[in-house]
Amino acid sequence: MFHCEVIDVNKNKITIVRAEKFIESHKCGASLYFVGTVRDHNNDKTVTGITYDAHDAMVKKSFEEIYNDAISKLKLEHPVAFVEHAKGYVPLGGISVIIAVACKHRAQVYEFSRFIIEEIKKKTPIWKKEHYQGEETKWLEGKPIQK
Amino acid sequence: MKIKLELFGVCREFSDNDFLNFDFDEDIEIKDLRKEVEKFVSKQFPENKNFLEMVKKSAFSSEANEIIGDDFKLNKNQTVSIIPPIGGG
Repeated sequence: MFHCEVIDVNKNKITIVRAEKFIESHKCGASLYFVGTVRDHNNDKTVTGITYDAHDAMVKKSFEEIYNDAISKLKLEHPVAFVEHAKGYVPLGGISVIIAVACKHRAQVYEFSRFIIEEIKKKTPIWKKEHYQGEETKWLEGKPIQK
Repeated sequence: MKIKLELFGVCREFSDNDFLNFDFDEDIEIKDLRKEVEKFVSKQFPENKNFLEMVKKSAFSSEANEIIGDDFKLNKNQTVSIIPPIGGG
């Protein structure tokens, strides 16, 4: 069971409550929540927020492929995953991404969650523009997308 | 042939719109489109070497939302996206 979405933060909010409701399952004995937030520093600069950009259609496609890859590579039992990523301006401390997973056993949820976030970093077309104290902003360099 | 290039990430800085339009007299491949984008950036932003570098490092994607290689042929009016280096999460 899988849910994924790009959340335009000007219109909606990423919340753990929605993730909790989605991954609830009596077949699963373990669940795990990964929450990415905007921190206050990067490369010796004071960060006040991050604007996330996304190619929405490709992001959703990428999330689905990552979920399917995880199932086949990790041989998960009763996998459930909820993935939402922010698009737009997220202030300091705000949530940029939630990955909530559930499986039959605990070892699998750690692997499952880690697999998803690491694959997102390599394969999902999302970009960050950091906002610093003062008016300065900078698009972070990133890495070439992997197929 | 008209190619609309959708802009993302740092490439959004190339235009006040979210896209660039290119006209070609004949069929082309993605590598030809990349050269045109490089020319555009070199002309519009001669001081900004980072923009040119980003175009060189970028991938492109089709209307079907597939990453397409430098040899991918463009032979009709269509929209293509430029995918600069990524860094979400």
